[in-house]
Amino acid sequence: MTQTADRATDRAADGFAALCANDPELAALRGSLREFLAADRAEFGWQPGVDTWLSKWDEAFSARLGAAGFLGLTIPKKYGGHGLGHLHRYVVTEELLAAGAPVAAHWIADRQVGPGLLSYGTEEQRTRILPRIAAGRYFSAIGMSEPQAGSDLAAAAMKAVKTDGGWILSGKKVWTSGAHLAHQVVVLARTRPLDAAHRHAGFSQFIVPTDSPGLDISPIVLLTGEHHFNEISFDEVFIADENLLGVEGDGWRQVTAELSFERSGPERILSTAPMITALIRLLADQDDLDDHAAAAVGDLLARLISLRQLSVSVARALADGRQQTNEAALVKDLGTRFEQESVNLAADLLHYAHAGAPGRAQVAELVDIAGLHSPMFTLRGGTNEVLRGMVAKGIGVR
Amino acid sequence: MTVLGGGVFGGAADDLTELRSLVDDIGRRSFDSRIGHRSLPDAFDATAWGHLDEAGLTRLSSTPDSGGGPAEAAVVLRALARHAVTVPVAETDLLACWLAGRAGLDVPDTGALTLATDLGAVPYAADAAAAVVALPDGDALRVAVCDPASLSIERGHNGGGEPRDTVLLDRDSDSFVSVDGAAAELMRRGAWARCMQVIGALDAAVEFSVEHTRDREQFGRPLSAFQAVQHTLAAMAGEVERGRAAANLAVAAAVDHGFDDAATDYAVTVAKVTLGRVVPAVITSAHQLHGAIGVTIEHRLWLATMRARAWISEFGDTAHHARRLGRLALATADPWDVVVGSVSESIGTR
Repeated sequence: MTQTADRATDRAADGFAALCANDPELAALRGSLREFLAADRAEFGWQPGVDTWLSKWDEAFSARLGAAGFLGLTIPKKYGGHGLGHLHRYVVTEELLAAGAPVAAHWIADRQVGPGLLSYGTEEQRTRILPRIAAGRYFSAIGMSEPQAGSDLAAAAMKAVKTDGGWILSGKKVWTSGAHLAHQVVVLARTRPLDAAHRHAGFSQFIVPTDSPGLDISPIVLLTGEHHFNEISFDEVFIADENLLGVEGDGWRQVTAELSFERSGPERILSTAPMITALIRLLADQDDLDDHAAAAVGDLLARLISLRQLSVSVARALADGRQQTNEAALVKDLGTRFEQESVNLAADLLHYAHAGAPGRAQVAELVDIAGLHSPMFTLRGGTNEVLRGMVAKGIGVR
Repeated sequence: MTVLGGGVFGGAADDLTELRSLVDDIGRRSFDSRIGHRSLPDAFDATAWGHLDEAGLTRLSSTPDSGGGPAEAAVVLRALARHAVTVPVAETDLLACWLAGRAGLDVPDTGALTLATDLGAVPYAADAAAAVVALPDGDALRVAVCDPASLSIERGHNGGGEPRDTVLLDRDSDSFVSVDGAAAELMRRGAWARCMQVIGALDAAVEFSVEHTRDREQFGRPLSAFQAVQHTLAAMAGEVERGRAAANLAVAAAVDHGFDDAATDYAVTVAKVTLGRVVPAVITSAHQLHGAIGVTIEHRLWLATMRARAWISEFGDTAHHARRLGRLALATADPWDVVVGSVSESIGTR
């Protein structure tokens, strides 16, 4: 009897609604966020965009989102958060991306810095920073890549040398999105010299305020003309001991430990979702849409839905504390390739909308912007070639 | 572990582990018995059927009190397909027993059954103890139970060697009864079952490809040492996992809501379209990695690849299901709702 009851509970936990991240509690959260977004958009007039987690920095929006209780979801209440689970965060993240909301300002703080502080931060760091992240009023960048360390992150050469009461940082970081607008940068630096036999040893993480003396932030302008990325030069920047994040020498483990969340997250699938939904709404208004076009829409959606199912299944497993290194790498490889291909599929489908159809120009613009951003989809956060190498290792052929 | 768990990344134990290993055992024996004499057609495996019947696995979801439902059926179908066991469990359990029940007709309690709806490609007709014939009549079905011995049957097979026979019968016979509203569910059940089988076949195709590229040496090293080969394997595995995620949702929908439900209609449609694109991609890669060795009748690969190919084309091809999913999204006020599975109405015959 007990066994049957357990089995019924297990099955409900693995039921249709749960696999869709849409069981009653999550559906309610989804509903309240949708209401907030509709009202906020009506009042403040932002337009849904593509790739907004990189490109739409709106500090006022982030503050409103925080005030409404949709940031810092996994941060405990005592640090100003909401003490909810990873799946709650997943749902909020994907609804924000699907709505094309301007989320770039708080993105990295909420996605990486909050969880990093919870895992490795000191009580003082948590108390100082987490409440401001949950409020949507504290913005962060991440300094990982360097001119000679792209896919091969372990080649990072940025140095941190111990001094009285802190560390002296020297070197260069590149591709730090939002650093020119952020309050701080979390930097990966070598606190011990390179040991060729143990390349991943000797790294540490530092919380670096962007107004630190000796720090110089200059733009790396994208091929679109946009400025999101930066190069940061560290000319003997002093960082106090209280801003060492986690354990000295343990930086590599700290930055890689939670990568599965980032790799498998909704942002690896949904960067173009507002373009896709706007396109389908536009086509729905064409009363002579033929079966071929309907099938193309179905094909596009089946890819999106199946990838989302894979992503949710990884999120559920991670929330249960199971390792998902291979699966997370797969989500990022498949998801970002889908993001790229969705742009071309959308461009083809746009031909089915009449030339003067209301809304057509807006969808065409989203397709164009997505096309300009699309080379980045399969690069950021680790190239797809590196990911496939990881998967091959997981299969046991490498 | 998900219901359809397995494949190259394995999975943790769950309450279906015992069932998985039981069917796996039967399947492996069936597979091994064909080593050295694989051929077309691949005949009905009466020995394996006997083992399955003894274990109570041939009518799992259609027998009341068996303790089996769609989850157990999915496990059985995937495991049998992984070993290319040539038996009509999907036809017997999910289609024939169910439809005969709906029609109030009796079918034999033992022996293989088949469901005949496309009379030019009836699975295992010549091997079945009874054939449940279902002729479309609008939204209704005209259903009769026939003794294959009384029918004119011409044996044939699909590309995977599985029996697909041509049946001649009297369409105007007065033994037919009309069953309302069953046509869509029959199609859905068939598509669902084929998706589960396809996952098993694709898992086999990936396993074979991993083994082959490890064992086969060229240019002085195993094929798997080449980065191009590693990336092809990773891409294959990724496609299969995407298909598995979609198929798992179809299992969960059927467990929660049964087969006559909007959520199940949605999930089966998504899975059928997804696997419709995954199958050709994985087949192409599996054969490419095996080289010319993999295209012979003696090799095991075709039992996985060509069965997957045959199955995915049945019960509505990919374009058909893609069109239905597209029409659903086009008719939904917010297409994003379709992405997150908030669907309340069946797609119907759009």
